[in-house]
Amino acid sequence: MRYLLTILCLILIWGCRKVEVTPTPTPKVEDIFSVKETSITNGDPLKFTLKSEGVYTLTLFDSVGQQVVTRERIIGKIGENSLKLYTKSLPVRYLYLSLEDENSVQIGKTLLIIN
Amino acid sequence: MRNLLIFLFLFISTLGFGQQVNAPDPKEFTVNTSGQDASGFTLSGFNATSTLLCAVGLPVAPSGTTFYFSTTSGVTASTGYTMSGNKTRISFTGTMANINTVLASLKINTTGTAGDISISVSATVNPTGYYYLPINGHFYKPVSGFTGVTGFSGTTSTGYNNLKTYCTQQTFKGQAGYLMTITSADEDNFVYLNVPGSNIIFALTDNVTEGTFKIDAGPEAGTTVRIGATNQQGKYNNWAGGEPNNWGPGEDYVVTKWNGGTQWNDYGPEATAFPGGISGYVIEFGTWSNPDDQTFTDFYNNSVTHTNGPNLNLKALFNFNFGGNVDETKFLGAVHKRNDATSNWTPNTYKALNGLGRVTLSDQLDTVKVYSSAISIAAANDMTAYSETDIGKIYKMTITGNTGGGAIWGTNIYTNDSYIPKAAVHAGIVTAGQTKEVYIKIVEGLNDYPSTTQNGVTSDSWGAWGLSYQFVSEPSSYKATISAGQAEFSYVNISNGVTTLYIDLTRFGNTQPSTISKVKILDCYDGPVTYTTSDPYWAQYTVPSTLTKVTDGTSAYNSYIRNAGYNNWAFASNLGFAQNGAYKQHKFVFQNYDSTQLKTLYNSIVTVSDVYLAFKEYSEAGGIFGNGSGTQFTYGIQFKNADVNDDGYFNEKDCFALLQHLTGVKDLIGSYTLDNTMKIILDSTYGTIGKSNWQQFPSYLGKDYGFSLIDGKINYNYNLAITWKGDVNLSHSATPPSNGITTNSANFGMTIKSMSTSNGEPTAYIISQIFGDSLIATIKFNPNANSIVGTQFQINYDNSVISFSSAKYKTTGTPINFANNKGSYINLGSLNTGGELLDGTTEYQLTFKMNQKLDNSLGLISIAGNEAVNVSGKSVKIKIQ
Repeated sequence: MRYLLTILCLILIWGCRKVEVTPTPTPKVEDIFSVKETSITNGDPLKFTLKSEGVYTLTLFDSVGQQVVTRERIIGKIGENSLKLYTKSLPVRYLYLSLEDENSVQIGKTLLIIN
Repeated sequence: MRNLLIFLFLFISTLGFGQQVNAPDPKEFTVNTSGQDASGFTLSGFNATSTLLCAVGLPVAPSGTTFYFSTTSGVTASTGYTMSGNKTRISFTGTMANINTVLASLKINTTGTAGDISISVSATVNPTGYYYLPINGHFYKPVSGFTGVTGFSGTTSTGYNNLKTYCTQQTFKGQAGYLMTITSADEDNFVYLNVPGSNIIFALTDNVTEGTFKIDAGPEAGTTVRIGATNQQGKYNNWAGGEPNNWGPGEDYVVTKWNGGTQWNDYGPEATAFPGGISGYVIEFGTWSNPDDQTFTDFYNNSVTHTNGPNLNLKALFNFNFGGNVDETKFLGAVHKRNDATSNWTPNTYKALNGLGRVTLSDQLDTVKVYSSAISIAAANDMTAYSETDIGKIYKMTITGNTGGGAIWGTNIYTNDSYIPKAAVHAGIVTAGQTKEVYIKIVEGLNDYPSTTQNGVTSDSWGAWGLSYQFVSEPSSYKATISAGQAEFSYVNISNGVTTLYIDLTRFGNTQPSTISKVKILDCYDGPVTYTTSDPYWAQYTVPSTLTKVTDGTSAYNSYIRNAGYNNWAFASNLGFAQNGAYKQHKFVFQNYDSTQLKTLYNSIVTVSDVYLAFKEYSEAGGIFGNGSGTQFTYGIQFKNADVNDDGYFNEKDCFALLQHLTGVKDLIGSYTLDNTMKIILDSTYGTIGKSNWQQFPSYLGKDYGFSLIDGKINYNYNLAITWKGDVNLSHSATPPSNGITTNSANFGMTIKSMSTSNGEPTAYIISQIFGDSLIATIKFNPNANSIVGTQFQINYDNSVISFSSAKYKTTGTPINFANNKGSYINLGSLNTGGELLDGTTEYQLTFKMNQKLDNSLGLISIAGNEAVNVSGKSVKIKIQ
């Protein structure tokens, strides 16, 4: 039993040893979902960060009638994602943009003012 | 059955149609008179127990004009108003019945200044927390504090800009807001009365150039109201004493109700960090200056323009009824004119219709008379062979007067089916049995044809009728005027009831005696004459009058009249001759609509519902799918609109032409112009087009409405209905005035006043994804509890980035599926013309080719409009989820 405790203490001491870890640089991203609204023009990038890779959907819907205008399924990657928004075919000026994961859980929402 | 009734009740209650403000006809007030009746406004169609907000104002009136109500019981004045006393505007709340009682007691107090007095009345279900200003038709929402406004603090302009942005994100009745602007004393006073608190910030600043105050929000953004110490000419300023003074370290923004008073002060943040001392702000909704132009949803207004004193100038008002789903302000109109039927039209400056579909073009009427030739035609019993397109034309024919033979309606202006030989006697143009060439001008329909007895003939009365005629002088003839003079150059012989006028031949100059068709004899006669003959000294004319003022001595010119014996009376006179001429032809013309925009509008007018309704009517009428009488069309105009090949018959050719248009096989319209799509019909005619007589009416296609000036007529007010070729369900057309009607007010592709839907509404789900070099969009449709036979989606796409490639359909029944590529959008959908239902497995898949490599496609396609049609032919909105 004494040997066992000694071994455990040694493991604990070993575990508390300072380990030099090189930090992974975190990119500076202006996340579209970090602000309440954004003015946007045709072709402007939409940037956002994701914690996991997977299938996501981006939905644009009318801020007044809650009517969906368009929706796109994308493959998201961990970290920064940058997509373009094309506005020429959009019928209204104020649109909400929402981001949902593959379980339809909303993970971001913001208002876009289309110029 | 009970469920059916409940469903019908719920359905009807969601439509919300029928609510309106009705306005009276224009009238003439007496100048400088108080308490004149201005009643005639009524509200209708609202829920009887709802509390409504009603606003009354005078958008246009001579200064000093006021109104009041003699009955004010049952209603409550809005904050800042009292019901009693004279006023220029007011808003109040009450039930529809109580408001109507108050409106019926509306009285006007006029001043000595003549001019137009426009009264505007608005109504809506009372929106708590919002205030309506009837002068400009805007709503105002006062807000105390700055909750929700990001960063409204500090000493920089950031807080102010954030406040402006916050206001633009607020919406009310379909309109985006903006930080209030103040541009008139009336608006300022309105704010003072209705907005609680003091020091209310509004959109006026000199933060760009110190001392130059500009409005920087709303429709007046960019307007400079003051530079340095000088208020700009015509711009409203209301500074408190000693202000603006840029106090302390500087003040770049402005508050009204300064210290609770009525005036303005320049204020923080340079002197005081926001919000220090500012108690709140106001969000303003509405960008128009005329209340009639408002486009709030579920909000109704109407107006009438009376005159203060007699209206001595011609007034031309065109009032178009487009129905509920067309933006009237996108249309512009003008009056064109020409000398006669063979000359070219002279255009005029186009003016935009206001939000009620009205435009006044008084200054475009031309009262100059010109030489005009008449068109010879064979003698006819009436003028029913002619239509609105002939208005203004003058025809000549030889007739024999007759006091029997047929009915006539009206006095001097007759319905076009009146018996001409009898009307000519009634008008004094011929006598019974007399054969004569007469000139008949086609003029527009009237709302009232009065009955009179003239020349031994009694005419009948009639109400509204679509077309009229009037007897006129030969347009190339002359009128002789006999005025008081020295020598007796003219005389009359009156014997045995026949009056003969003699005019000295030496007085005619270059005028041919035979061309005289009218004469004015002192103050004794002014009317037509008939040339009979000339001897070496005198030209002779028959006058259809016994000239009693000549013979009984009552003429003011009696001293110039000599009884020469033998039934002769001589006139000491001068002679003048002037060509009679004719007014120029006039017509109202809509400016051509941009063809691309018209194509998009037309795509929302002729939809899957129209096509299905046409098939359903035709099948019930014994066509391809069934037999029996058709019950789907309520009005005759629906047949006219459904008769898209304009051959006078509604049949399978029209149904399939509509279907081909929907599916993109062949457009109904060759080139998209208003002339090929629009129909303008006088309201009084529109209401008479029935299911059994619609074929008797012309096609009406075109953007012109002809009218003519008439001697003695001052007010040219035209109420005109607008409808469209192919608009079978009248979704974008005026509703004919008849009882019991529920038209299908589809809102496809438009954003105006959409109907609300219940939980059982049809739904659709759209999703797109890139696969290789293609973008594939999938639309899944679910009718839920509805019996849907057809769908239609307008799928917009960015044609600079992607190209439409193909469509796939998964549908039940045997529908006709379509994906009609219109260049920048796809008309996508299905129609079971035989009535089979679409179910929840319905699915559409569109494939687009990408013109360039793309990583994503968000926004490249979108749903811009949709519509479903149920088995009963009603259009139903689809909820896109």
